[in-house]
Amino acid sequence: MSTDIQIAIVGSAGDGTIAAGDILRRAMAEFGYRVISFDVYPPEIRGFGKCIARLRATDEQAYSLKPQSDVLVSLDDSHAIPHVNEAREWGAVIYEGGSVGPLAEGTHISAHIDPGQIPYNPPLRELSEKSTGSARSRNIVVLGYIAGLFRLPVEPFLRALNSKFKSKADVAKKNEAALRAGYEEGARWFRLDDVAFGPPPAKDGGATVEMISGNAAVVRGALDAGIDNFFGYPITPATSIMERLASEMPKHGTRLLQTEDEISAIAATIGAGFTGARTATATSGPGLALMAEMLGLGVIAEVPSVVFVSQRGGPSTGMPTKTEQSDLNMAVYGGHGDAPRIVIAPTNVEGCYRCGGKAFEMAEAYQTPVIVLLDLYLSNRYETVPFPAQPPFEADMNRYADTRGGKAAGFKRYALTDEHISPRSIPGQAGGMHIATGLEHNELGRPNDQSAMHTAMSRKRHEKLKAALKHPDFTAYKRFGDAGPVDVGIVAWGSTFGEALEAMILAREEGIRCAALKVVMISPFPTEVVAAFMADAGATLVPELNYQGQFAGILQAHVARPVTRLARVTGEPMEVGEILAEIRRLAGRTPAQQAA
Amino acid sequence: MGDIRPVYLEEKLKEVEDSGRLGYRSKALPTWCPGCGYFAIVDAVAAALCEQCVPYEDAVIVSGIGCSSRFPFFMNAYGMHTLHGRALPVATGVKTANPALTVVAVGGDGDGFAIGGGHVPHAARRNLNITYLLFDNGIYGLTKGQTSPTSATGFRTTTSPYDNTDRPINPLMLLLSYGATWVGQSYAGKPEHLRRMVAAALAHRGFSYLHIISPCVTFDKTHRTYVNLGTKIRELPADHDPSDKLGALREAMNDSTPAIGLYFREDRPTLDDALDTIVEKAGGTAARERVIQKQAGRKTRG
Ligand SMILES: Cc1ncc(C[n+]2csc(CCOP(=O)(O)OP(=O)(O)O)c2C)c(N)n1
Ligand code: SF4
Ligand SMILES: [Mg+2]
Repeated sequence: MSTDIQIAIVGSAGDGTIAAGDILRRAMAEFGYRVISFDVYPPEIRGFGKCIARLRATDEQAYSLKPQSDVLVSLDDSHAIPHVNEAREWGAVIYEGGSVGPLAEGTHISAHIDPGQIPYNPPLRELSEKSTGSARSRNIVVLGYIAGLFRLPVEPFLRALNSKFKSKADVAKKNEAALRAGYEEGARWFRLDDVAFGPPPAKDGGATVEMISGNAAVVRGALDAGIDNFFGYPITPATSIMERLASEMPKHGTRLLQTEDEISAIAATIGAGFTGARTATATSGPGLALMAEMLGLGVIAEVPSVVFVSQRGGPSTGMPTKTEQSDLNMAVYGGHGDAPRIVIAPTNVEGCYRCGGKAFEMAEAYQTPVIVLLDLYLSNRYETVPFPAQPPFEADMNRYADTRGGKAAGFKRYALTDEHISPRSIPGQAGGMHIATGLEHNELGRPNDQSAMHTAMSRKRHEKLKAALKHPDFTAYKRFGDAGPVDVGIVAWGSTFGEALEAMILAREEGIRCAALKVVMISPFPTEVVAAFMADAGATLVPELNYQGQFAGILQAHVARPVTRLARVTGEPMEVGEILAEIRRLAGRTPAQQAA
Repeated sequence: MGDIRPVYLEEKLKEVEDSGRLGYRSKALPTWCPGCGYFAIVDAVAAALCEQCVPYEDAVIVSGIGCSSRFPFFMNAYGMHTLHGRALPVATGVKTANPALTVVAVGGDGDGFAIGGGHVPHAARRNLNITYLLFDNGIYGLTKGQTSPTSATGFRTTTSPYDNTDRPINPLMLLLSYGATWVGQSYAGKPEHLRRMVAAALAHRGFSYLHIISPCVTFDKTHRTYVNLGTKIRELPADHDPSDKLGALREAMNDSTPAIGLYFREDRPTLDDALDTIVEKAGGTAARERVIQKQAGRKTRG
């Protein structure tokens, strides 16, 4: 029996909702299921705003959450009532069943549950008080209840609890008591829902599967690729990249510095890149805007650097705790002059790991800034990732010039070559002295603004990047779904690709011929691949999280074919159902045909 | 005025050639206006690097944008000619990535105290182990004569045709309070003094800030001319104690008759020291050795 179960826990910030979700996903990962999980919480640090923890446990890694959950848990009915519809038919709805005192009509969740949904109403508060002496452990009780109800072993929950709270003995005892109290209660029940966990899948040989967030995966990729230096300035949702590196890098003998702003962060990154080191910074849209001028220096001086960007709602301070994909234009085009750079956007957490390491290879191989574009949804979501036993990254892809016996000041750092890449030298290397300058220059790096030179150097800077599309052992794009001609082709990028893929899978189950093209490398743009994909598709759909359809705009600048833009700015991930509806519409399916 | 005597070109050339410092000069001749104070600085830096036997390939000169920031092109060393105002953060990256390098940041008064003013306190407080040479001509030279943060009140420029109404900042006082561990001032019109000061700045372990007063002969015919400066500039009193910060601040406050010399110096752990301490605390000292070897290994490829 295969497993594909999604659980949503809804509560207020004071209920321990997010903590419960975290323990649940750790336990599920420990069972051996593949997990994807994303939490929604209010921007305020304290308060009683709505929190939702969602996770989906499967046998094979899922790319996104499902439109509907199999189990909905309410820790706070006022917040959970609007989400009752999220539970599927014959799914479970679990809520506080103890006495809650007199309520105004309609404020109890039981009044909102559909006949097809199966209610469970354990006395969470009472069980918490009995087992721990306080009502504060309802969130732990409900986890035990879930374990009991679905006949899951309780030990992984215990271990997840203890590892999360690294608790003192008395706290650990209370947690265990709460968990067991919930478990006993759950195990007493005869179930009517049709939610069923199968045995966890067999373990992959070689790889170790770990549950990790997008930002943590980026960090892991950077560390596995041998990052030497990091310079950064805190900003949501990128901060945790720097925080993790701050504790990890010194253990590797490498150096991290919190700079005075993002201009200095990218400046120092480029300064370090000049010395041959693998260096990076991380920021969000506002910081990337500040970095624009310096990235141009990286482009013209051909200095390797890596910039991790996690997007949030904009413009300006915008919506710091909401997700959006609206910094794409800035990542690809931002800055003055013709300043081409590499932009890659992972589509899931495993991709964050790969891009997090590969970016350093590319920066060196093509001597350019590389922007790795994430968004809050990807940075903060958790997935299980199989990490290979050996990091899949090359330690050094620099092409060093042989400058031995070279004449002083005669080294052609910017030599015009057939593949447009010039062998480099780094400080300390005798005979390789040169000036990296933001002025247009000749092959020696000397200022030169002759027409022919500017034309030749501009061509070099643009053309050298094309090879990146075939960068070794890197998936710049990939087709999923039906081969050959399709009714609907979806071209998607970044975090939204997951929802696009899920919608495509559902559409194919409905008999619609469709395919999805994942585009990871957006600059340089894989024009030929996208053009061929679109030529095969009756209609092309481009879903993304920004108002203008920025990716669609870039696509159309390269491929002159019509696309249907599905551009949304809700601050939330795209809804699978919305993409699916659009696929049906483009495939010519009427709602009636759908029902049939 | 005792040291004035006729100097014959050949004699001078021989002296310079024998010193070996010409090796630190690139073949590119400075593109500055004849008479510009900056010429003296090129020679002083070449002499200081030569004196300390820094291999050409181990020196990195980092500049911003301005007439002054053209400097790296005139040196035979590695260099970065970056963005207006950003020499210090770029130099921070160079030095942090490879502490074995001798890093010198250079730039103008606009570069360092207008657009780049936000970086100076941080390089100073961290005690970044580099030398920062600030070429102060009290004007924007490269953009052809606009007011700068060190322009005198009443100075008439292309952007202050009715006189500059702002008051100038006092860079020495700023650097002293930012926590620079070596603060000195010199004058492009006194090449010998300048040479000594650059050498001393370079020899200091920590953030050394040398403020170099330098006339822009093209766009300032009224204020900082050689004639005016020659009469105003004095030496720090012989009894000035460079370990006395308050004394240094008092001297720095007198900017109507600027004094040249070493205002302040102290020993404090550098940014490199601090970063090494962090590595030690994290238990990464052995790994650090490997990183340093990797860094050293890179340059020998070819
Ligand atoms: C972001 C940016 N703004 C403005 C300029 C134009 N600009 C170039 S140099 C300069 C001022 C130079 O003055 P200073 O730093 O004092 O150096 P000087 O030329 O006097 O040596 C300005 C405003 C620029 N290059 N970049
Ligand atoms: S404009 Fe002024 S600062 Fe620039 S080179 Fe000429 S004299 Fe020197
Ligand atoms: Mg100036």
